[in-house]
Amino acid sequence: MTTGVSMTQSDASPSVPEPFRAPEPALEAPKGAPPAMPRQANIPLTDAAALEAKPILHIQELNLFYGEKQALHDINMEVGEHTVMALIGPSGCGKSTLLRCINRMNDLVANVRIDGRVLVGQDDVYAPGVDVIALRKRMGMVFQKSNPFPKSIYENVAYGLRIQGIKDRAVVDEAVERSLIASGLWDEVKDRLQDSGLGLSGGQQQRLCIARAMAVQPEVLLMDEPCSALDPLATSRIEELIFDLKRNYTIVIVTHNMQQAARVSDFTAFFWMGKLVEVGLTEKLFTNPRVRMTEDYISGRFG
Amino acid sequence: MPSRFKDWWRRGNALIWFSGATLALSLLMIGGLVGYIAVKGLGFFWPSPLVQMQTGEGSILGEVTATEAAQGEDAAKVQFRVGNRDLFGQDYRWVPKAELKGESFPADAVLVERLEYGAFIGRIKSVEKEGQVLAQDAEALAAIRGLVPGAEQLRKKIKGIEKGEVGGLNAQIEDLRLEQRGLEAKAPGSPKLEALRQRAQALQERYDQAQVSLGALHAQAAALTVTLAAVDGQTKTIPLASIVRIVPANALGTFGKLSVYASRLWEFLWDDPRESNTEGGIFPAIFGTVMMVLLMSALVVPLGVMASLYMKEYAKQGWIIRILRIAVNNLAGVPSIVFGVFGLGFFVYTLGGSIDRLLFSDKLPAPTFGTGGILWASLTLALLTVPVVIVATEEALSSVPRSQREASLALGATRWQTIWNVVLPGALPGILTGLILAMARGAGEVAPLMLTGVVKLAPSMPLDGTFPFLHPERKFMHLGFHIYDVGFQSPNSEAAKPMVFMTALLLLLVVVILNLFALRLRSRLRARMGGGAF
Amino acid sequence: MARHFENELKDLKFSLLAMAGQVEEMIALTQASFNERSNAKAERVGQLDKNVDELELKLDQACIDLLALRAPFASDLRLIASTLKIVPVLERIGDHACNIARRAVLLNPYPSVLTGDLLQRIGDETHSMVRRAVDAFVNGDAEMAQAVIDDDDKVDALYGEINRELLRLMLADPLAIERSSHLIIVVKNWERIADQASNIAEEVLFIIGGVNVKHPYLHQPSES
Repeated sequence: MTTGVSMTQSDASPSVPEPFRAPEPALEAPKGAPPAMPRQANIPLTDAAALEAKPILHIQELNLFYGEKQALHDINMEVGEHTVMALIGPSGCGKSTLLRCINRMNDLVANVRIDGRVLVGQDDVYAPGVDVIALRKRMGMVFQKSNPFPKSIYENVAYGLRIQGIKDRAVVDEAVERSLIASGLWDEVKDRLQDSGLGLSGGQQQRLCIARAMAVQPEVLLMDEPCSALDPLATSRIEELIFDLKRNYTIVIVTHNMQQAARVSDFTAFFWMGKLVEVGLTEKLFTNPRVRMTEDYISGRFG
Repeated sequence: MPSRFKDWWRRGNALIWFSGATLALSLLMIGGLVGYIAVKGLGFFWPSPLVQMQTGEGSILGEVTATEAAQGEDAAKVQFRVGNRDLFGQDYRWVPKAELKGESFPADAVLVERLEYGAFIGRIKSVEKEGQVLAQDAEALAAIRGLVPGAEQLRKKIKGIEKGEVGGLNAQIEDLRLEQRGLEAKAPGSPKLEALRQRAQALQERYDQAQVSLGALHAQAAALTVTLAAVDGQTKTIPLASIVRIVPANALGTFGKLSVYASRLWEFLWDDPRESNTEGGIFPAIFGTVMMVLLMSALVVPLGVMASLYMKEYAKQGWIIRILRIAVNNLAGVPSIVFGVFGLGFFVYTLGGSIDRLLFSDKLPAPTFGTGGILWASLTLALLTVPVVIVATEEALSSVPRSQREASLALGATRWQTIWNVVLPGALPGILTGLILAMARGAGEVAPLMLTGVVKLAPSMPLDGTFPFLHPERKFMHLGFHIYDVGFQSPNSEAAKPMVFMTALLLLLVVVILNLFALRLRSRLRARMGGGAF
Repeated sequence: MARHFENELKDLKFSLLAMAGQVEEMIALTQASFNERSNAKAERVGQLDKNVDELELKLDQACIDLLALRAPFASDLRLIASTLKIVPVLERIGDHACNIARRAVLLNPYPSVLTGDLLQRIGDETHSMVRRAVDAFVNGDAEMAQAVIDDDDKVDALYGEINRELLRLMLADPLAIERSSHLIIVVKNWERIADQASNIAEEVLFIIGGVNVKHPYLHQPSES
């Protein structure tokens, strides 16, 4: 705060009687190499790795019809390996539907017709003669409401291995331990693996479901609003988990919570009424989206 | 006052009271039913005092079983159980109350339960061995007591030989004979026939030997006799071996009465019947009922669950399935006798007849499966109760949340793996509910059983020591049928009355125990699975 | 919820405008205090500064609250973040105006040293820049904001010219040194105000277009 009559600025008192000239804005870089930037000055929000990631999931001209009603219009997008892609949009915009197209869970709904291609790596998921069961083993899915089986914790995580016929006790034990450690649940349940999975709290159950999905070591994790039924503490644990999982898995997460999408994802795709409106780096989409509709949606103007 | 009532009414209190009252009424009715049966049935075994009175026609000695007050022209009368059907012609007698004079409880009066002709009520005169008197009057009872264990053993031995050795030989001879007949029909003059004939002869010799030893034992048993005297002086001599129990009713203290009660109860539960089912035990009926219910459960659960699974999980939910479901539900309303007729026509005659023609042709014309048996009866009842199981299973399958199925499928399980590992275990409590309902319904049905395999008196049980141990073609006895038979078809209905109540109580108990097992299993499953709608 | 937030954003804008209005008033009064040699007006400038300080506190708090409670995105986020940066700039403009007014009080009793309208022109130009920067904020006018940024060169040129004139005067007439040195400080403050107005215009461009135009020499051609 300025008080009194004192000089405020350190004025450049001219010491030489040379014509006084205002300094010109330097148009070239200042002479000499600039001093090295202090390390703390580097604050990227998206790792450089995410920007370099090669795409592992390609969705090409995907259209989906429930009977006569078209739910997805001409979706084209790619998801990079070891990145987190968030799908946002208002209810009924088709984001969950798209997610379920990736592992062909929409096959379970009657009257569904799908045009277009979904490529995981090189393989088109919808090619005729594709083994859906084998495909689903390459994807793990986590649902909105945690749905552990009415079995013990151990059996829940081991389920995916058991249905593949893996009986070797040592192999299953190792897989169960690994998955539970990776999902952050091991310390809490390692002494009570035989207890029922339904006896855990909501957040723990959801982590159990994540462990279950990871036990078969899928390539892609598909998460459909995994935190919407959880309290903030449990939610933040799972978001941290997603951060760690990013190192080994590619994650596609549907969320209606934009703050969560902003926190957790590298890329965000905004859907509206079955159409892909905009997709891009999360930090760009949330500070300066290109499309007006995106801007209105994330500012809460509608939807 | 009226406004207070209006207020109370508007709050809906009247409805609360009303619903409480109807619940109380229902409980009262159930309690009343069970209590009535229990009182009438359980009193059956209690040894009543033997009272001796004077009537217009002489003395009368026996138990007081009923009294009737004066009605219109009939005077008040008292019913006595006097026993001694072989001497008096009938073992129950009504006596006008007015005629009765004097009342004494003689200490030496006994009620003797015999193998034939029911009970003898009177006094023990003497015990003889081969005609020689061993003891008389007062000492007779003590002597008998000493001899009874030996007689028991003898009786058991005889029974063992009759049922075991002789029975087994009989069966073997019969089989051999059938083999012979078959061989003769197909290949007469074959050398095998000679071998068979020799074996038959050997068996026949053993059979004759057994008969001889049996005869000796019978003679031994007949050696000891007891002479009994009725109140009017008539005497009767019976072999000691034919006495089941001697009850000196007036000389017993409480402990003595209790031990008689316990002994009679034990006999009721574990012994075979006698006197055309009005005396003795009903063990075969209990066994037959339990076995039939278990067999029915073993048939109805897979049938109902599989049908339900198909209707719910695999079939396309179109109008065909809807009609099917309606048809199944309506099946539950079909009268049980119709099922009996169906069972008779299809299972017994058609299926059983075909099996006989194919596998047991040498035994024909005596039917093996072509007649009623426990298998056909259980199958018929399984059909009767299958709608219940189907409905309960469908409910249970629906109650497994869709999310769990999706989770399983998303992990790469096939449809069948999902059903086997997730849906069925989750639906198990509901399926057990269906089983409980089916058992409750099935255990109580009698009409269809009468047409498909239940008999008044079965010569052997469907499960016994002879190979192949389970005989699904045999007829069996059933508690419900026993009630009907004893209560309405018995020649001696007065004697049968208390037994009917006791059998009814036992039937209730069997169903309750079976249900308790299933309930316990269900609650254990529920606890393990932590919640669920069913 | 959106309507409520809309109203809060409107309130924020109004408050900023109110603050800008006070600051513009201060600039106008400062110019008048020179032209009319009015000490009263100069004092008034000091009083208005108090309003500006109050509004700064209020706006600071409002911006923090909106960030914490409304978790804004996109253009709303840019508006609030930029407002948070514009507010201290406005406050400093007010301080500079106060400094100029104080020198006016010192200079008013004496005859003016400078001839011509250089002082008037630098004041007018700066005042125009401030006014146009604020207008650009109100109307979302990117062209106007860019014009303000470009006009900073004009003020810099005037600043250089006035300084040269004052140096000449000081060399020529030692008695004019004291008055001249006050004037040097006065035009220094005008020049600073013009810089601040240019900064405001840069923030306005960020609000409108989402592009940070500061330090052009650092911008790589591929960066969007």
